[in-house]
Amino acid sequence: MISHAKVAHMKTMTRLLSGLALSLAALALCPSLEARAAGTSASDAQLVQQGKYLAIAGDCMACHTAHGGKPFAGGLALASPLGNIYSTNITPSKTAGIGNYTLEQFTRALRAGVRADGAHLYPAMPYTSYAQVSDADVKALYAYFMHGVAPVDTRAPETKLPFPFDIRLAMAGWNLLFLDDQPYKPVPDKGELWNRGAYLVRGLAHCSACHTPRNTLMAEDASQDLGGAYVGPWYAPNITSDANSGLGGWSEQEIIEYLSTGHTAKAQASGPMMEAIDFSLRHLSNNDLKAIAVYLKSVPAIHEAADTKAVFDWGSASDKLDTVRGAAWPSNPDQMTGAQLYDAHCASCHQAQAQGSFKGGLPALFHNTATGRLQTNNLVLTILDGIHLPAQGNGVVMPGFRDVMSDAQVATLGNYLMQAYGNPAGKVTAEQVAALRKGAPAGPGPQVDLVLVARVGLVIAGLVLLLILYLIFRPRRRRA
Amino acid sequence: MAESLNADYVVIGSGLIGSLTAMKLAQAGASVLILEAGPRYSRDQIVANFRNSPRRSDWMSPYPFSPWAPHPVYKPEDNGYLIQAGPYPYPAEYIRMVGGTTWHWAAHAWRNVPNDHRIHTLYGVGVDWPVSYDELEPFYQEAEEIMGVSGADNTGSPRKKPFPMEPVAEPYAMRRIRERLDPAYKVVTNTTARNSRPYDGRPACVGNNSCQPICPVDAQFNGGRAVAKAEAAGVKLVPNANVYKLESDAKGRVVAALYYDPNKGTHRVTGKTFIVAANGIESPRLLLLSSSDKFPKGLANARDMVGRHLMDHPSTSLTFDADEDVWLGRGPQSPSSINTMRDGDFRKEHAPYRLDFTNISRVDGATTALIAAGVYGAEFKRRLRYSAARELNVKTVLEVLPHPENRITLSAQKDGMGIPKPEAHYFIDEYTHKGAIRALDDFRRIAELMGGTNLRYTRDGEYANNQHICGTLSMGNDPATSVVDKWGRAHDHENLYMVGTGVIPTAGTCNSTENGLALALHTVHHILGGQSGGSASVQS
Amino acid sequence: MHESARQPDPSLPSTRRRRLLAGFVGAYTATLVPWALAQPVKNGQHGAFLALSAIIAGRQSLDAGMAERIFKGLSAEQPGFADAAAALLKLVDERKIDPMHLQQTLDDEKSPLAPLPRKIATAWLLGVIGSGANARVVAYEHALNAQFVADVLKPPTYAYGPYGSWTRKPL
Repeated sequence: MISHAKVAHMKTMTRLLSGLALSLAALALCPSLEARAAGTSASDAQLVQQGKYLAIAGDCMACHTAHGGKPFAGGLALASPLGNIYSTNITPSKTAGIGNYTLEQFTRALRAGVRADGAHLYPAMPYTSYAQVSDADVKALYAYFMHGVAPVDTRAPETKLPFPFDIRLAMAGWNLLFLDDQPYKPVPDKGELWNRGAYLVRGLAHCSACHTPRNTLMAEDASQDLGGAYVGPWYAPNITSDANSGLGGWSEQEIIEYLSTGHTAKAQASGPMMEAIDFSLRHLSNNDLKAIAVYLKSVPAIHEAADTKAVFDWGSASDKLDTVRGAAWPSNPDQMTGAQLYDAHCASCHQAQAQGSFKGGLPALFHNTATGRLQTNNLVLTILDGIHLPAQGNGVVMPGFRDVMSDAQVATLGNYLMQAYGNPAGKVTAEQVAALRKGAPAGPGPQVDLVLVARVGLVIAGLVLLLILYLIFRPRRRRA
Repeated sequence: MAESLNADYVVIGSGLIGSLTAMKLAQAGASVLILEAGPRYSRDQIVANFRNSPRRSDWMSPYPFSPWAPHPVYKPEDNGYLIQAGPYPYPAEYIRMVGGTTWHWAAHAWRNVPNDHRIHTLYGVGVDWPVSYDELEPFYQEAEEIMGVSGADNTGSPRKKPFPMEPVAEPYAMRRIRERLDPAYKVVTNTTARNSRPYDGRPACVGNNSCQPICPVDAQFNGGRAVAKAEAAGVKLVPNANVYKLESDAKGRVVAALYYDPNKGTHRVTGKTFIVAANGIESPRLLLLSSSDKFPKGLANARDMVGRHLMDHPSTSLTFDADEDVWLGRGPQSPSSINTMRDGDFRKEHAPYRLDFTNISRVDGATTALIAAGVYGAEFKRRLRYSAARELNVKTVLEVLPHPENRITLSAQKDGMGIPKPEAHYFIDEYTHKGAIRALDDFRRIAELMGGTNLRYTRDGEYANNQHICGTLSMGNDPATSVVDKWGRAHDHENLYMVGTGVIPTAGTCNSTENGLALALHTVHHILGGQSGGSASVQS
Repeated sequence: MHESARQPDPSLPSTRRRRLLAGFVGAYTATLVPWALAQPVKNGQHGAFLALSAIIAGRQSLDAGMAERIFKGLSAEQPGFADAAAALLKLVDERKIDPMHLQQTLDDEKSPLAPLPRKIATAWLLGVIGSGANARVVAYEHALNAQFVADVLKPPTYAYGPYGSWTRKPL
């Protein structure tokens, strides 16, 4: 005879088992349901397309694809003052990528900088910007990365920063201090276009990641928002609304033209900005570009005192051809004058008086921020390596001259260009050229050895902690 | 004697074809040495020299003359280096410098038309090639991919794969010519080694209109880039090395190259295989200089064929003023031509020809003419603008048949290094002359269709030289009438090869560089045992 | 270096004593180059050279720095150039020779002054002084032949514009 308890137990077990069986069955069905849903539903296909557009806007490709590597498979080394940080494989590979991520895990990585295994990402991944991305957009991005990207089963190299920066948990503290992880909230009465612009600039386009200077703890200094900063040796300039130092004197149309082609009369992109334009910005819709322009022209002005007039307003057409025509080159090539160097290397495209071609397609060098800004690293780097289209077979737009000019010659030419066509207070030195030619990782100015500082700081913190512990736990005098 | 160099392959001459030959051999893992008579110069120096040249229409003027590696100079005075034995002058220009003569060319990159390979069989003139068009086709393709050739499929030369690039954008002036000449004439965009988009680390053309003498931006392929490719592949290049003799042993194997440095110090270079790539005049000269007891007439010359069958593409032309403003000088110098007279039954009677339209700016030429005519004051500006806007020129590119009497020999005169100068014996026959006469009909009709006035023809019997130096090392199956076999190997010397335009046996109407390069790639393919080259597998 | 219009040329006499071209040419020449009459000159020979340059070039204004370099260059290349220029100008004035007939007239008369207009023309219009092995460039981009077509053409070796820009109608 079966007892009641046993029957009850059996009933429970049956319920459990059937529940389990049902769940298993549901789970078994789920993938195919999921697959059916993703493969056949028009709205899902649309979500993937939308995610693709957003991934382009966020320029995930630029960091998560190594040179010559498969899309989004990671492995690109990003030089930081602390060492190389390698981008990760974000293809939907289950063994080497994010194929096992849920939407929640994807969201947390994107917005809070936390991996599925709980480890923190370094802010080389601009999650502080992506934190602004809306839930709906994150969902679309997830759909794209899960269903619109081909899986690549090759692991990317691990990032190993020197102690103590290999303690990722420390990022938790950093995030407490510096991460605002709330998605963008539209500002009422600013209009749809401005809000769209703010959403893009602060979020997916992550402009501040380069254009805003950082404090010693490598966090963006919000008080200097978009005021200009060094990214390695490149200077990401002031793009606030300041009339002299920023975009105040640009029309919306000029900003749109710059972002969609990489050049206007006032400025031409090279280096990392050309990457951002070629991979990302030129693919944005005209409306989105207009929104970005509208927003940028409203960013509080940050004025650099040295810009006594607009950085695109310096210089004029001129030449020193009367010192070049009929004159032989010196026997020491390093003693060639700026005018001779300009004649030999630059004038063919930029024309004899630096006035550019008839309709400006080959730009003038005066009234050009390339010579109007006092930070001359970009000018030197562009002379050395030219301008290429990294998303289009690295096609040459402007050739580089590193193989045909010495450091002294580049410095002579650089100073000639600044004097004749730009802000004459700007200077180029041969030492600067030599460092940039070797790929110097940093901008000018004194370099802080952050690793040393951190380690010394830890030692001091440790000593302070010991002192506190001693003060708390030292043996007390017995009370009488 | 200074330290001796040695390599698997010793290439003499660093021009476009020699350098790319060296590159291919190095890419296959061999040690390769190039000996170049002249010095190194950079592109920017040539650009600066051009702008400071008092003779801008003399395209040799920006190129330095090196006394230790002399080349012909004709202006302001003939330096008498290339002796003209006549009866007709052969005033070819070439540059002895690292990269050779294609530093200044218009980058025409034509293939033969298939019948060019069989004019003896088909038309009873000239000789047949030992290599057919089909055999050469994959090497044409490879040549075009290396150089970066842009073009369209409408020029009479069949192809299996597309051009690497689309045709270069057509200048307005050429468009007007094409539109007005249609349907009487089909004007086509030239196939050229010129970038119509960024290619091979070089930008697209930006219309400097100075292809000759120098492309300031390397939008057109040139010998300087070929040298860069060779050196990147591991080729060692020794400049200022004027090779004056090839030493051979009793069996006819070449064992060493002897060269002078600028101070006339002697150096001896040894190698396993020697490849002469020193253009169609300096190459036969070197072979003739390399006589020995065993080979008293020079190397590869047992049957007195070296230097013979000298050919070029001579030009006649018509200059006239069109009846509308078109403004030559915008865009590349040589963009368009008419190709319908490259082949046909008429080749039994007279030479075929292409008709090239120039796009070279008229400004300096018109200025010189107006000053010579004493046109001053406000009238000068008016007439200058008129000529610059309306003057057009069309020229023939005529075939010359291989005649054994047309040849390069050694002169009794010696150059500054004590080496016998090259001497040119040349005449232009009635076959070519009849082609020029036939072309006058085309000239007249073209001028008519363009509303032409002020027609100025070149004089009958006067031709311009185009520097397409070919034939002097003719390739052929019969050693009695040729210097090298179909693989470019000297008939009598198993380790001696020739590459360059000198091996071309008939000139066709094809500016010679691509023909020479395709044949060189065909040669390299054979040298390497059929293991490389050609865009499709080739049965050797 | 092209002198700024604001800085006086130290080689010229001071303003009070500065002479103008008008004072050095006859009535006939004045009708040929009315726009040049206010040009400052150093002396009669310099004035003659400027007047002849204006006549031959037919140009509204001539760059002072260029004029200086050409005058120096031609004087160095031909001893007595300045005197010959003065003599030629006198001839033009006295006989009222039309610029378009000037060369023909001098050539027909086998005048020793015949080479002069050609030299001045070659210097201004082509930017070249001297001949044969002694020829040298004094201007290329600023030579007047380049200036006269600068609205449509760039001098060879200078890029016309981005790829394809030459397909459109010039003017």
